[in-house]
Amino acid sequence: MIGLQRFLDALHKHHVEFIVIGGIAARVHGSARITQDVDVVYGRSDENVARIVKALAPFKPFLRGAPPDLPFEWSVRTVKAGLNFTLRTTIGDIDILGEVTGGGRYEDLVAHTVTVDALGHPTFVVNLEWLIRLKRAAGRPRDLEAIAELELLQELGAKKS
Amino acid sequence: MTLRTSIPSLLREARNRGALSQRALADFAGTAQSVVGRIEAGLTSPTVETVSQLFEAAGFDLKMEIVPRQTVDPVIEAYKPGIDRTLLVENLRRSVDERLRINAEVQLFGNELRRAMRVAEGTP
Repeated sequence: MIGLQRFLDALHKHHVEFIVIGGIAARVHGSARITQDVDVVYGRSDENVARIVKALAPFKPFLRGAPPDLPFEWSVRTVKAGLNFTLRTTIGDIDILGEVTGGGRYEDLVAHTVTVDALGHPTFVVNLEWLIRLKRAAGRPRDLEAIAELELLQELGAKKS
Repeated sequence: MTLRTSIPSLLREARNRGALSQRALADFAGTAQSVVGRIEAGLTSPTVETVSQLFEAAGFDLKMEIVPRQTVDPVIEAYKPGIDRTLLVENLRRSVDERLRINAEVQLFGNELRRAMRVAEGTP
């Protein structure tokens, strides 16, 4: 389960540059599907890496699926050395992505976001059109039904406007 | 919408937003009114240079980008009839916070069911 409120509180408190994508973004756009984790694209500047490391540190991030005895240090050095991390934390599963297939990096994707007031925070969420593109680009069979639902949401939105 | 089909409507929109007649736009761009008229009617395939000049004359820059071609995926289409649209309409009526809170509540319920299942099966 994701402690989404605590997650957003922490990221905003530390002024982290991030964009919500994945299942939570789909929920924001009206999806009826339940998601178990949160995916964000984060800025890779030195300052932002330091911010996200500090923001998530209280939640004891560890590599999801890794053996418990694997040495892993949640630090600026670790995040700078890697790019995309699938993490298990005390508030749930969190994927932080320095780059996403079909969407690029934070700087590329930020132009394709909407700002929504999510749990008390103005938050960048990838827009519906680009969420569909990202899911198509990911090419995962399990996303096919999700894409179908997102396209229906797009049609419903078009009819509304 | 392809570039070929979008140019006429985009040019019309740019001209209208600039409050210009076809003749005025043509004058600003140094061309003839008939050129503007034929492009807006989709009767001609203008060069990129001509299109750029017309948009600039209307006070706009025409920005192009490449995007993955949107193809109809039969697998995705096959899923659509099975999706409950009423749930989507209902969700769209909710605020973003409500949509997120419901997600959390269903997650909690799922976790509780899994915990109860483990207890029933006697597994840790």
